Amino acid sequence: MASAFRDRTSEFRSVTETLKKKIGAPTPPPLPNQPENAPSSTDSPVPNSRSEFNRKASRIGLGIHDTSQKIARLAQLAKKSSIFNDPIVEIQEMTAVIKNEITALNAALSDLQTIQNMEIADGMYSEDRVVHSNAVCDDLKSRLMGATKKLQDVLTTRTENIKAHENRKQIFSKNTSRENPFQHHPKPAHVPPPWSNSLNPSEDLQQQSALTSNGVPVGNQLRRRLAVDNAPTPQMEMSMVQQVVPHQDNYAQSRATALHSVESTITELSGIFTHLATMVAQQGELAIRIDDNMEETLANVDGAHSSLLRHLNRISSNRWLLIKIFAILIFFLMIFIFFVA
Amino acid sequence: MKITALFVLKCNATTTTDGSDPLILANATDVSQFGYFQRSSVREFIVFIARTVAKRTPQGQRQSVQHEEYKVHAYNRNGLCALGVMDDHYPVRSAFSLLNKVMDEYQKSFGESWRTVDKDSTQSWPFLDEALIKFQDPHEADKLLKIQKDLDETKIILHQTIESVLARGEKLDSLVEKSSDLSAASQMFYKQAKQTNQCCTVL
Repeated sequence: MASAFRDRTSEFRSVTETLKKKIGAPTPPPLPNQPENAPSSTDSPVPNSRSEFNRKASRIGLGIHDTSQKIARLAQLAKKSSIFNDPIVEIQEMTAVIKNEITALNAALSDLQTIQNMEIADGMYSEDRVVHSNAVCDDLKSRLMGATKKLQDVLTTRTENIKAHENRKQIFSKNTSRENPFQHHPKPAHVPPPWSNSLNPSEDLQQQSALTSNGVPVGNQLRRRLAVDNAPTPQMEMSMVQQVVPHQDNYAQSRATALHSVESTITELSGIFTHLATMVAQQGELAIRIDDNMEETLANVDGAHSSLLRHLNRISSNRWLLIKIFAILIFFLMIFIFFVA
Repeated sequence: MKITALFVLKCNATTTTDGSDPLILANATDVSQFGYFQRSSVREFIVFIARTVAKRTPQGQRQSVQHEEYKVHAYNRNGLCALGVMDDHYPVRSAFSLLNKVMDEYQKSFGESWRTVDKDSTQSWPFLDEALIKFQDPHEADKLLKIQKDLDETKIILHQTIESVLARGEKLDSLVEKSSDLSAASQMFYKQAKQTNQCCTVL
């Protein structure tokens, strides 16, 4: 998609010229030149700013299209990631890139809206243009919202996948735990480096640490938030004095990180609750409107029903009415007969 | 995610220097995963490991030692040492909080009487046995873990709630439109009825 809108300014301008020529034909020839020069000079800044609006809008549309393509790719990646070859780094990078793009697009869209408002405030433009620019902005906004929603879905599926993987890993790792330490036993010297790599406390949803990079479920815990705190090296005969002190620190640190994560989760939860409350309040208003409408409907239907009933009553048991109708009929018949005969 | 054994030992400052083994004050083992004939030897082996690790744990320090497929966590506090033999997957922090709990409980129930003990006690302490069974799941032992898990679940539930609230919002929107259409239609109906009524009142 090269551009969201087709720029038909040149066609429009040619049409206006022909129209002007038609209107200006009865007037003497030198005159049309001057009024043509003036409007053309005022026209030139006008198409510039108009096309600037269009240009920005088309750029934003292009950006939204790119972002939605990237989101689709991210969705594919998230779907196909299996237990063992998680393209974690890629996914994180893409998520970060997409988020940046979305924020940039948001800013550009708000700029576009301010430009449009400025143009309207200038006051010289026709209603059609105002309507058109409004439609453009709304369309871009809705597209951006759709893209953000898709991104959210992708992220939710990804977290569900991660959880499923971790559950499965936990099941399998119970069986394989016997085999792993046998690997550890013959090479004690190499054990500290892989464990020191995995000493990073695992972080929140978006950033999986490199715990799985070893492929060995050493210290691979249930939840992503656990701080992995691996012990210093094994053998009984080795003196562990130097490594005990950092172990104490790690214990305290791990508790501190766990507390921090709990605290952040709680704040997130409170945000979600407020969000929920606002939404429900807004919807309450909607419910009140529906109520009012229904009451109005009820009143109308009641009134109509009662008038119809009255109507029925009056017609059904009205001998007097029948007599009156027949009297009129006979009256007309008499007049008719008298006049003819 | 299994605890194989829990111990409470008494280790003095002297045990680390003069090589005498720490004394077992309480002992709870779960060797049901081994074959019937291996159980007693495994139990003795575990006791030996526990004694050795406790001997080498300095006062006021926590320590975790890896042995074959088990991790032994030890916490020495003022000569009273709590020790747990767990497998690799048991989170270390929960292990130490469990040991803290065991130690506090022991001190509460036995006071300082353990300091005068001079040989292994063979009585079983029911709290330790219960603890062994109850705390197989690390979430029970470590409250932080449990809270975190609960919070995560709550967050997921809240996300679902929000989505359903959004769906409800959409339905309410459509309801508003339909009800406004209804009210317009009923107004037309009312007017029509009044009109049909009016023509006959003349007569």
